[in-house]
Amino acid sequence: MKEHSSEAIHVIFGFDPMWYAGILFALSYLLIMSERINRAIVSMLAAALMILGGVLTQEAAVEGVDFNTLGLLTGMMIIVAITQKSGIFQFLAIWSAKKVNASPWGILVMLVIVTAFLSAMLDNVTTVLLIAPVTLLITDALRINAYPYLFAEIFASNVGGAATLIGDPPNIMIGSAVGLSFNDFIMNMTPVILIILPLLFIPFYLIWGRTLHATGEDRQSVMNYQEADAIRDKHLLWQSLFVLALVITGFVLAHDLKQQPATIAMFGAALLLLISNLPGSASQQSKAVGNIFSEVEWITIFFFIGLFIVVYGIERTGLLELVAYEVLALTDGDAGKTAIAILWVSAIVSALVDNIPFVATMIPLLENMGGVLGQEALMPLWWALALGACLGGNGSLIGASANLIVAGFAERAGQPIRFLPFMLIAFPLMLATIAISTVYVWVRYL
Amino acid sequence: MQTASDIMDSHPVTVHPQDKVKTAARFIMAHRYRRLPVVDTDNRFVGVFGVDCLLRLVLPKAVVMEDGLNSVEFVRETLSDLHRRFKRHEDEPISMCMEEQEVEVVHPDTPLLETLLVLYRTRASLPVVEKDTNRLVGAISYWDAGKKIYAAEV
Repeated sequence: MKEHSSEAIHVIFGFDPMWYAGILFALSYLLIMSERINRAIVSMLAAALMILGGVLTQEAAVEGVDFNTLGLLTGMMIIVAITQKSGIFQFLAIWSAKKVNASPWGILVMLVIVTAFLSAMLDNVTTVLLIAPVTLLITDALRINAYPYLFAEIFASNVGGAATLIGDPPNIMIGSAVGLSFNDFIMNMTPVILIILPLLFIPFYLIWGRTLHATGEDRQSVMNYQEADAIRDKHLLWQSLFVLALVITGFVLAHDLKQQPATIAMFGAALLLLISNLPGSASQQSKAVGNIFSEVEWITIFFFIGLFIVVYGIERTGLLELVAYEVLALTDGDAGKTAIAILWVSAIVSALVDNIPFVATMIPLLENMGGVLGQEALMPLWWALALGACLGGNGSLIGASANLIVAGFAERAGQPIRFLPFMLIAFPLMLATIAISTVYVWVRYL
Repeated sequence: MQTASDIMDSHPVTVHPQDKVKTAARFIMAHRYRRLPVVDTDNRFVGVFGVDCLLRLVLPKAVVMEDGLNSVEFVRETLSDLHRRFKRHEDEPISMCMEEQEVEVVHPDTPLLETLLVLYRTRASLPVVEKDTNRLVGAISYWDAGKKIYAAEV
């Protein structure tokens, strides 16, 4: 838990700081949900108003920013931006499609596995950004509907992302705030994901699998793809794989090395920038580094910075402590009941609104509960929050950024994924994954 | 002041949104037009149709879409595959693939140098459109501009 500096809060115009911060927080939440104003703009404005209004000093605001989350996100974004230039993602997608003789159902299974694996090891937004176009190319060649594939990839990206510390922003935030390591996530999140992912194939098969057919000729056109030619830069491929392996090993050993994940990700990013740009001239390097930096999702990064400050603001006024007591009163202060409640509430909220601000708010809320429940009793709550927030993203088309990206591709390919038809299948499926998670949390921790 | 109207061709060849892709494509290929202005029945400018559009129809959607694949070296296709893909669309109206947004146009009173700059940026024939009515009044090709510049007294 963060140490709060003890200076008194003086809010402008004599407003009650709790009210001022609470209203500012609620307004920015509403604005983010309305999607009328870019979320980075909303969070930066709200953060500035938190400081200008007197809830936080600038020093206190900086204290509230979790640089470990930012560093880990940015570092991984840089590594992925460089790695993807090698063509490895297209290679994996085509290679896996050919492994199953380009059979339509086999391809769906393989693409789900590839998407889930890449989402766990990298971030899921980049994964779908790279897998969705190949999927469309393949379904176009097979002359089959792309919808089942894109739907399944949305699920795979959110389920796969839930498996590791680095897979999904909620995990990064929780891991960073609580000090949970990469290995903690592997030990606690990955097992339940390995149960959920294969089970998802049952509904996928019943809904779509039986009706997917392609002619032998069309399948042959996919079999004619030369996956080796998808690798555009072999040298870069080996450099990227080397750094990725180093970084993942770093994450595994981070706890023993007493290092934070952000340091490891940033070191990996810097190392890959270095070796992929040698022996270029200074001006070539500047251009290449500039290009890579432009691929970092700055909207997300600035959104996070503002958000951390806003949430720190309401936390400092004591508002979240109050809410924490209220929630605990509802669940009779029972850790088990609280964990299950958090799992379901997080899932439903994350299906309908952006899970990042939700998790950012829940973290200090749970930390405050630690005062009553004890820090040890908090552990199931953290896993419940991570599972709910990540898996809940599958509940609707707006539940996660990856969903919207896939929907964008579907729209451009002339096979749009509509909000309600998607939700009609996705929401119950998401609830099923939460039901499995409930059993897991109950059996393992309570 | 010399303007776009001094170098434009006042009787440009046009196509209509409901023309079939097949017909427009044949016409473009036969005359080697890069692109043609598309006008409605009132001669209002609605977009351009040209070789970009035809190329989009023979390539897979996954390649030409925004954020699509930027390399397909791994795909082995033949001319027949391309023709087959084109055939799926040839009976559709050209409105399905004409460019409507972000098409650069000039107005009859656009100054000469600005017109040439837009021509340089666009690298294709420029529609000349009346500001208020959006009616097409002419088109400017490289050759129109080149001939006029050459013919001018030094």
